[in-house]
Formats: sequence, C-alpha cells, structure tokens
Amino acid sequence: MVSLPSFLFVSFILFLAGIVVMIARKNVIAILLGIELILNAAALNFVAYTRFINNNLEGHIIALFIIVIAAAEAAVGLAIVIRFYQIRESIHIDDATQLQS
Amino acid sequence: MVLNYLANIGRFVPEITLIVTMVGLIFVEATYGDEEKGSSKGYLYATAYLGLLFTLVKLIGSLGDAPIAIYSNSLVIDPFSTMIKIIMVIGTAACIHLSRRSSDVYENLKGEFAIIAVGVLIGGMLLASANNMLTLYIGIETLSILSYVLASLKKNDDRSSEAGLKYALFGGISAGIMLFGMSHIFGVTGTIQFAGMLDKLKDLDTVQIAILMPSFLMFFAGIGYKIACVPFHMWAPDVYEGSPLPVTTFFSIVPKMAGMAVLLRVTMVFFSGDQNVLQMSWIATLSVVAALTMTVGNVSAIGQRSVKRMLAFSSISHAGMMMMGVLCISEIGTRAIVFYGITYLFMTLVAFYITSFVQDAYGNDHFERFNGLIHKHPLMAIFMLITMFSLSGLPPLSGFIAKFNIFSALIDKNYYVLAIIAGLNSVVALYYYLKIVKLMVFKDPESDEKIKGFGFTNQLVITALTVPVVMLGIFWDQVLVMANGAKIFIVQ
Repeated sequence: MVSLPSFLFVSFILFLAGIVVMIARKNVIAILLGIELILNAAALNFVAYTRFINNNLEGHIIALFIIVIAAAEAAVGLAIVIRFYQIRESIHIDDATQLQS
Repeated sequence: MVLNYLANIGRFVPEITLIVTMVGLIFVEATYGDEEKGSSKGYLYATAYLGLLFTLVKLIGSLGDAPIAIYSNSLVIDPFSTMIKIIMVIGTAACIHLSRRSSDVYENLKGEFAIIAVGVLIGGMLLASANNMLTLYIGIETLSILSYVLASLKKNDDRSSEAGLKYALFGGISAGIMLFGMSHIFGVTGTIQFAGMLDKLKDLDTVQIAILMPSFLMFFAGIGYKIACVPFHMWAPDVYEGSPLPVTTFFSIVPKMAGMAVLLRVTMVFFSGDQNVLQMSWIATLSVVAALTMTVGNVSAIGQRSVKRMLAFSSISHAGMMMMGVLCISEIGTRAIVFYGITYLFMTLVAFYITSFVQDAYGNDHFERFNGLIHKHPLMAIFMLITMFSLSGLPPLSGFIAKFNIFSALIDKNYYVLAIIAGLNSVVALYYYLKIVKLMVFKDPESDEKIKGFGFTNQLVITALTVPVVMLGIFWDQVLVMANGAKIFIVQ
C-alpha cells in the first residue's frame, strides 16, 4: 500500500514545480498553469491526510471546492489575459510595464 | 438536522439579502437597453441602495445579540464580525455612489460596478465571520476573483488591464500558497474547524511543530496579501494606480477590512492561549511585518506625484498600524482595531471623493492639481484639510484617537519598541499629508476653472462623510464603548 509520506512527497514536488514555473516562465499562460499545479498539490494533500489520518469527509469536501474555485479563477484569469493581449498584443509578463514608479 | 439549519437562518439574513440584491441587480441591469446611460439607471441604483440599507439596518439591529456559531460551526456571528460588516456595507454604498458620478468608470459599465461590488461585499462578509478553513478559503476567493474583474473594469485602458493581470497573478499565487499551508495545518490538527483549535495546538511534539511553523507562514501569506502588508504588498501600488478611482477606493476599504478581520480572528482563535513556541513565532512574525509595513508604506508615499498612488501607500501604512492592534491579542487591541476601522473608513472615503472630483475636472490626480483649491472651492479644501490632519493623526480629530487606542494596546502589553516605531512613522506621515494642505492653501491656483458637478447632493454626501471624521475625535467615548462590545467569540 502506498503510504502517507509518498503522497506528501508527490504533492511537495508538485508545489515546488508550481513555484519554479511561476518564477522562471515569463508567459502569462504558463504562470496560470503554475498556479493550478500549486492548487492541485494542496488538494492532493487534503485528500491524502483525510485518507490516512482522520476518516471524516472534511478533506474530500475541501478538495472538491478547490477544484471548482480553481476553475473559476482560471476563467477570470484567462479573460483578463485575453483583454491584455488585445491591447498589448503580447502575453509576456515583462511587457506589463505601464505601472512602474 | 434540517430544522437546525432553518433555525439559524435568522442570523444569516444580511448575507442572504445581499445575495438576493446581487441577483436582482443583474436582472434590473438586463432590462435596460444598450443606449441607456449608466448614471441614469435609477432603478438599478435604487435596488442597490435598498439592498444595502436593509442589510445595514439588519446588522445594526443584531449588534446586541448573543454570539452564535451557525451551520455546523462554519460561520460565527458575533458583535465583532457584525461591526466589521457594518463598516464594509457603508464603504460599499459610498463607493457605488462615487462610481455613479465619477467619469473614471465607463458609462456602460457603471451597472457592472454595482453588481460586482455587492459580490465582493458578500465575500468580505463571509470572510469576516469565517470559522473554519473552508469558509475562509471560499470567502477569500469570492473576494479576490471578483476584485480581479473590478481592477480591469476600464477594459480598453492598458493600465487598467495590466492592473487586473497583476492582481490576478499575485492573487492566484498567494491563494495557492495559503491553501498548501492550510492542508498541512489540517494534517497535523486533524480538522478544518477553528473550534477547539486552542487545545489541539497545546501539546505538540517537535515534528508537528516543525511542520506547523512553515505552514502557518504560508497561511499568513494568503491573508497578508489581502491586507497588502510587506512583503506581499508589491501588487498594491500598481493595482491601486491602474484601477479606476472608485475601484481604488473600494479596494482600500472592503478587502482590507475583511482581511484584517480574518487575521484578527485567526490570531485570537489559534494563539490566544498560554505561551508556546508557535504563538511566539506568530507574534514575532506579525511584529516584524507590521513595523515593516508601516515604514515601507510611509517612506514610499513621500516621493509620489499622483495623489491616488500616495493614498495607496498611505493605506498600506494604515494596515500596518491596524496589525499592531492584532498582535496584542487582547481585548484592548480588538477594540482599537474596530475603532480604527470606523475612522479609517470615513477618512479614506473623504480623501478619495475629493481626489475624484479634482481628477474628473482637471484630467489627472497629480499634486499640482490641488494648487490653490481653497480659493476655488473653500468647502472642499477645508474638508480635505480636516481629513489630511486626521489621517496624519493630529488631535483633536478622529485619527488621533484611533492611533492613541493602538498605542495604549501596545503599551498595555509592553511592546515599547513597536510603539516608538509607530510614533516615528506618524511623523513621517505628517510630511506627505501636509504637502497637500500646503499646496491647497498657500499656492496660487493654476487656472480659474471651477470644478463642475460639485452640486448640492455631492456637497451633502461629502459633509455627511466628514462630520464623523470630526465628531469621532470629540465624542469618541460612546463609539469606544460600542467598539468595546465588539468582542470576538471563540467557539470551544
């Protein structure tokens, strides 16, 4: 049987991958993907902890909510990215330089 | 079971009213044709104001009720959350009024502003009474996702869309990090409920503490991002500057107060017990962050050209001031924060209202546009002067009493160093607030062109907002008694 530490290890790797993607990539879409990775790492943690430590449904429910809210957030984020692209004709984060003091 | 849920619905009426209002607003907005001008949509604004007024009356009426945890402990309705909700409802109503007359919001999008603002308010109210991690997360996301839309409301403007983009990216990252921290807290304590958390955090072994410490830091990142404290403040000046002015006003009140409420509740619920390692590290983190937030906010505000950006930095430093009340973990601290919130609401509203008038008349909000305002509009200039004095904390205005309360909470817990840092910061703040006063009073006006649209209604609104700024400084004792009643209810 797969043990709890393996789940935690996988989710930690996912989390790190998300952070690295957000720091290293300059494409806005890639950054949104990194956010999804982090959210999925958290969801995996919740489910794993529920399965191995306490057997109530709290973790499962929170994981379901994370999936739904992540979808909503991605939808709004992509809409804003489309708007940005139409104005600036680029989705490179380094082109977002209008607002620097 | 079902009856239990129905019995609690009476305490949930304000939120339900707002949800109904929001849906109603969408329907009313749909009945107007495309050619209708936004500011003339009378029914739309009537619906919004009615909904908010009913919510406000209901909230004020329930101030004295006994605190209760409803819906399986997921929400707690106590006097503290009710006070924060009252502040947020007044702020929303004032921002909707500002958006109606401001030319910074496109005519065809004014209806959208009202709808989304009510939506953000619902998220803020959920957050203010969140009593488990799920409600906290849903509240933060409701608040954030709708805020992204608000920030990019001026959709053909490249600055506004950039503000929305930055807000969305930073928001997504910090929400993800917060959730990851939460998942480990859940793993160690075995529950998402806040109830009884104090006992669970008492006897932990070293491994558990080693897991919890970074988790709480991550958890703090999500909340800290909402109240824009250092080091999670990088988005704030950009977003505040890029968004339309009514949206900036809204951002500096509703999300900030909601975040402050949840930070205070989390601190009280998790760390109000006996001293332990976790509590000490949490307080140390908060102290450093609060001191840094104040200093960075104030120092960065000095060199700004745009009044809106200056006010954004000043709101960051005010957040730092309120955080000093949080880290006291005492009833005096809670009381001080509620009082600070009330005064901060009115001061921010007046400052932004007048900036909005100036910006609409002269095209931008640079400091020079305020030159000689007292010769053109004495009333407006005097109100701005009062507000600036109050924001910098000069007696006998309300800002002084608010700061004094925070100081007394700090001294009560013997945090002398923090009190000194806060005092020095007030001196720095004096400089940039008085700069506006100097320009308004002693400089000659650039032109004789008067500000249009400063008619009777708007004078009345500004007067109504300025009166509390003065009155709270003089008759502060009654309000302080009211704030004293706003205690946090910790479910066992």
